[in-house]
Amino acid sequence: MLSVETRTAVGALRLEVELTVEPGECLALAGPSGAGKTSVLRVAAGLLRPAEGRVRANGETWLDTAKGLDVPAERRRCGYVFQDYALFPHLSAWQNVAYALRGLGRRERRGRALELLERLGLGDRAEARPASLSGGERQRVALARAVARDPDVLLLDEPLSALDARTRAAAARELAEVLRGTESPSLLVTHDFGEAAQLGNRVGIIDAGRIVQEGTPSELAAAPRSAFVADFTGAVVLTGTARPGNDGLTHVGLDGGGEVASVDRGDGPVAVSVYPWEIAIEPAGEPRHGSAQNRLGVEVLSVTAIGNRVRLGLAGPQPLAAEVTQAAADALGLRPGANVTASWKAAATRLVAR
Amino acid sequence: MLAAAGALLTGCGGGSGSTRLVVSAAASMTEALNACAPQFEKAEHASVKQSFAGSDVLAAQIRQGARVDVYAAANTKLPDQLHADGLIGTPLRFATNELVLAVPKGSTIRTIDDVARPGTKLVIGSATVPIGSYTRQTLAKLPAAKEKAILANVRSDEPDVKGIVGKLTQGAADAGFVYVTDVRAANGRLTAIRLPARLEPRVTYGAAVVTKAKQPALARRYVDGLDKGDCASALRSAGFGPAP
Amino acid sequence: MRRGGWFGIVLALCLALALTFLTVPVAAIFAHSTPRDLVSTLGDRSSLDALWLSLRTTAVSMAIILAVGTPAAYLLATRSFRGKALVVTLVELPLVLPPAVAGIALLAAVGPSGILGGAVDAAGIELSFTTAGVVVALTFVSSPFYVRQAMAAFAAVDRSLLDASRTLGASEARGFLRVVIPVALPGLASGAALALGRALGEFGATLMFAGSFRGVTQTVPLAIYDRFSTDFDAALALSAVLVAVSAAILLAVKLVQGGAALGGWQAE
Repeated sequence: MLSVETRTAVGALRLEVELTVEPGECLALAGPSGAGKTSVLRVAAGLLRPAEGRVRANGETWLDTAKGLDVPAERRRCGYVFQDYALFPHLSAWQNVAYALRGLGRRERRGRALELLERLGLGDRAEARPASLSGGERQRVALARAVARDPDVLLLDEPLSALDARTRAAAARELAEVLRGTESPSLLVTHDFGEAAQLGNRVGIIDAGRIVQEGTPSELAAAPRSAFVADFTGAVVLTGTARPGNDGLTHVGLDGGGEVASVDRGDGPVAVSVYPWEIAIEPAGEPRHGSAQNRLGVEVLSVTAIGNRVRLGLAGPQPLAAEVTQAAADALGLRPGANVTASWKAAATRLVAR
Repeated sequence: MLAAAGALLTGCGGGSGSTRLVVSAAASMTEALNACAPQFEKAEHASVKQSFAGSDVLAAQIRQGARVDVYAAANTKLPDQLHADGLIGTPLRFATNELVLAVPKGSTIRTIDDVARPGTKLVIGSATVPIGSYTRQTLAKLPAAKEKAILANVRSDEPDVKGIVGKLTQGAADAGFVYVTDVRAANGRLTAIRLPARLEPRVTYGAAVVTKAKQPALARRYVDGLDKGDCASALRSAGFGPAP
Repeated sequence: MRRGGWFGIVLALCLALALTFLTVPVAAIFAHSTPRDLVSTLGDRSSLDALWLSLRTTAVSMAIILAVGTPAAYLLATRSFRGKALVVTLVELPLVLPPAVAGIALLAAVGPSGILGGAVDAAGIELSFTTAGVVVALTFVSSPFYVRQAMAAFAAVDRSLLDASRTLGASEARGFLRVVIPVALPGLASGAALALGRALGEFGATLMFAGSFRGVTQTVPLAIYDRFSTDFDAALALSAVLVAVSAAILLAVKLVQGGAALGGWQAE
């Protein structure tokens, strides 16, 4: 188990974080840059000494500022994957991986390193130097190096951000497998909620040095506690003023025009959030049919294909985004400039006070 | 910008900037000639640039084609050689000097025999510089065993006499063979031990106008001035003997 | 402006000028000496003494500079502390001192009448007129060349590499030896080459501080000066030998740099 508690200033940022990760679990901290995510990892690893803090891992106390205890980084058994991998340029791939394996004979170290590299599909690149490896290969070497000596805790700093989109998908699957297969608690930070959702059992949204909400990815997406969380988890966020209606729903007058209803309670200035995939598109001018309460006339600004889906950028009184199937987009002839109606259910509309 | 750099390189020094006399003189004359140069400059409306080093090094520079107007050495051998090779005019013998054994003030060394004692740190000139050759000449006149003992105490063969003086005033050396004028110039920091007359070499200084001099007439007047003139007086005040 | 227009011509001209100015004197040394002269120089006892002395003193000096200067440069490159700018300036100061001034400085410090002269004497150490004194002079004038380059080389090493080394269980000292030094090696090598060249060519401070005596303190530059007045050809030949030795050392350093860049360094 890993527990990290810290209260300190990092530059202009005031960091106040408390988290726990169970063995075999991966907690993903997701947040914008400057939120303090890397600092949390560095405190856990011993690379940053906070003004106040406690770090415990695997039954050992690594840091307790109150007691003046600070185990140096080199004595904490952490596996740390750096954002730019920090591979040693003068050593080959297997030598990098074997760096942490001390007290073993050369042959044994090489053997263990080769084994790890092979498991990650890099057996034939073992002798290559980092400069001649591709981004994806380097990421895997960094990962192998971090787990080589079976660390008590795994710390990953934006492990996929340096990769191009295509490599990222495969690397994410591979990394998820590695994380699932390890008994050590893992703490991962990323600026991408989707990545956090894919790799973490639990996700913590961190902003301005604080964890604003923690839970499973679907909990966060379904019940965001603030506009920030809602926005960060990918919802469409609209602003407006709410007033309770006599029909048991809350009616929200959107800034810029239009009105939507929500089953959530709210009064006064609110942020309205709904997920793009909850929004259906109809041709403009058609009368309402079905149970969807909320309808807005919008213009299509952009059409982006994502696999068999299409993400539409829409311009209404406020910007929106909707996701429909490629087939539907074709059938409706959705193109930039087209005028359509975006509709969604009041039950899928979340309200958070602003 | 190049013109400015050129002006910087050539325009330093006192006196009028247009005529410049370049003098190569033995290191032992440093203080005396630095004292009389301003008078010469004023009288001749010219600037004088003097370089001091071991006479042998200065002679070698002239052989290599250095553009100097006057050569003044601490012996006659070097000027005679240069003259024989047509590089300078007939040398003028303009001063004499005396070889002495110099010790730091307060030293317990009293005679030349004292420097034969093992463990004494002695500094002399290198074999090719006049002060060094005079010293070796003198030591050769001693009984062989004594000469050998003294030479065994030599810890440095300095390229010029000022190097010897420096080692003595620093306190690094116990004794050194220099000219009496160097002891005077050291302002009381050194004591001169005079050598027995029979050991004393004939130290005669010779100077001449360099054949390829740019300012031959001015150079002639400078050389003559070493014998009879402001510089002659300065040399006398510094302790140099008159022309032989 | 077309690439290679008048600007390109000016660049090329400047290079040609610089190249000529630097190579002609060196070439001239060899133009005058026949191979026979060089060999006979090497056969001359006093020349050999001078060469051997130069190599010995330079080697000892370099060893001291590398051993002490490397950790010092690392500290200056990676830590900040009050008065750091002053410390760096002090370390670099001998760089801008003319050799004669360096000689005076050494005398004023550890010379017989120097401020530490008494302590040196009491410790039974003799520096004037000794080979040890030569080493002191060489170390003093050459170390800033190395320390400066080493500082730059260490500062350029990515901090995350040392962090990574620590997370992998290596103490800072081990990380310094196994990661920082290998990565900084090209910069360290060029700093060492500069220091070595300066040490081999040192004249003024050595003469003033240690004197000139064959086999003990008369290094090659002093021997060249000594021979220059009587036997110019011998001086030329000795110069040629020194140039050849310096060139060989420089080449060796380049090979080390090239090797390190190609990844020839094994951390086993």
